[in-house]
Amino acid sequence: MLRRYETLMLTVPEITQDETKKLEKEFDRLVVDAKGTTLSFERWGKYHLAYPVQKNEYGVYFLARYEVPEGTTLPEELKSMFAIKVNTFVMRQVTTLLDPKAPLAYQRPKSLEESPGTRGDVKDFLKEHKMEGLLSSSEGRRPRMEENVEEGMDSGHDNN
Amino acid sequence: MTKKIKLKISQRLTKKKTRRNGHGAKHCRFCGSDEQKSFLDYKNSSYLRAFLTERGKILPARISGCCARHQRAIGTEIKKSRTMALMPFTAQYF
Repeated sequence: MLRRYETLMLTVPEITQDETKKLEKEFDRLVVDAKGTTLSFERWGKYHLAYPVQKNEYGVYFLARYEVPEGTTLPEELKSMFAIKVNTFVMRQVTTLLDPKAPLAYQRPKSLEESPGTRGDVKDFLKEHKMEGLLSSSEGRRPRMEENVEEGMDSGHDNN
Repeated sequence: MTKKIKLKISQRLTKKKTRRNGHGAKHCRFCGSDEQKSFLDYKNSSYLRAFLTERGKILPARISGCCARHQRAIGTEIKKSRTMALMPFTAQYF
């Protein structure tokens, strides 16, 4: 009886191609050792994280899906791999059991590479995440600052 | 002459009637809909954001209108999504 799993990995944003290859190779090796098959290994792309992880504001996600027979030691092997071999660049990972009958299609948020122009822009970020309340409050403060500046400038002109 | 009889209805009941008027009873959006159920996934963070408040808290079933089983499922998926930094634990630090 085969069991289908998926593992989502969050890596540092500065991950190199060599490290990506190493990660995929290690993963494949462990799955093959457990007499299973890798269904897919995808790179989602670069993302702005919801909160900083290990002081990184950005991160790259990888999703691996694989089938292994029941009763293998793969979960422990994966644990040790993430703890020892790839711990320099994999920050977080989560493994979930999938329904073998369910379709493999899924939906994910758009990465920064797919939606350019949103990088680092606070206003767009707030709008995208439905936090306009913060946007209006910050805008409400701004005119007061400008008024002060204008007043200061006016008084300066008067002096001249 | 017939005398009009005024039936006395409690205020609470009339309020309850007006509240439900036109909307019908609340129902769970996941029950009986495989399409909606397929959206319920920790990777689909943009969809799950609809179940968060502005501050990042999980909406109660009273407001999301989900049944107990699916409300639990939403909770677990949001928590998984949070550990992977796809969704916030709280609103953005500012």
